[in-house]
Amino acid sequence: MTLHTALVKIEEEKISSEKAKKFILSEKNGAESIFVGRVRNANSGRKVTAVTYDAHDQAVIKSFQSICSDAKSKFDKDANIFLEHAKGHVPVGEISILIAVGSRHREEAFKICRYILEEIKHQTPIWKKEHYVEGKEEWLPGHSLRPKEEIK
Amino acid sequence: MLSDKEILHIELPNNSNIEKLRRALNKIISEKYLKNNLQNLSKTAAFFSEADEVITDNYKLKDKELISIIPPIGGG
Repeated sequence: MTLHTALVKIEEEKISSEKAKKFILSEKNGAESIFVGRVRNANSGRKVTAVTYDAHDQAVIKSFQSICSDAKSKFDKDANIFLEHAKGHVPVGEISILIAVGSRHREEAFKICRYILEEIKHQTPIWKKEHYVEGKEEWLPGHSLRPKEEIK
Repeated sequence: MLSDKEILHIELPNNSNIEKLRRALNKIISEKYLKNNLQNLSKTAAFFSEADEVITDNYKLKDKELISIIPPIGGG
């Protein structure tokens, strides 16, 4: 198996970079690229304590698999890809997304990693609510999936 | 945010399309949920079919079809 994608319920399980490294390891590959996204402690001048991620689970998995398959077709069909995204309440400093890619060469490994991240931001139905130090919380404005020609 | 249940039931005339569903959603929001910062939802939301694919405004709805309302996304 060369592809692993999952939406991880963070209250039950952690996203593990060790698991990702093991998954992509292969003697045929000379390059590994790993992207780790974490919840940071500030956004737009507000102090953040955590982010809650919600998702349309079934559509997320379908989207992850489609994006990863596209990435393999575009850059390296033999690449090993591990992709996990958190769902639930993620405190500052914890991992929200991990993308690990094993490929023959560094260029393809970097490109696949970047491609997957950008496509997730533009295609995958995941929503983000920030929690602030003063106790308030707010869903962040996002990117509409409605076809552009329909928005007047 | 639009219902205390997972599913929001909306009744529409036969042969309605997504555009009609969008208008119905806008009416529900204007009547009940303006305080929840949802005033733009009917304009910015996408709709997914049961196969989890984006469907456009001219898509004809089937009887008892389950449609997902997808607000603007922001993962990663």
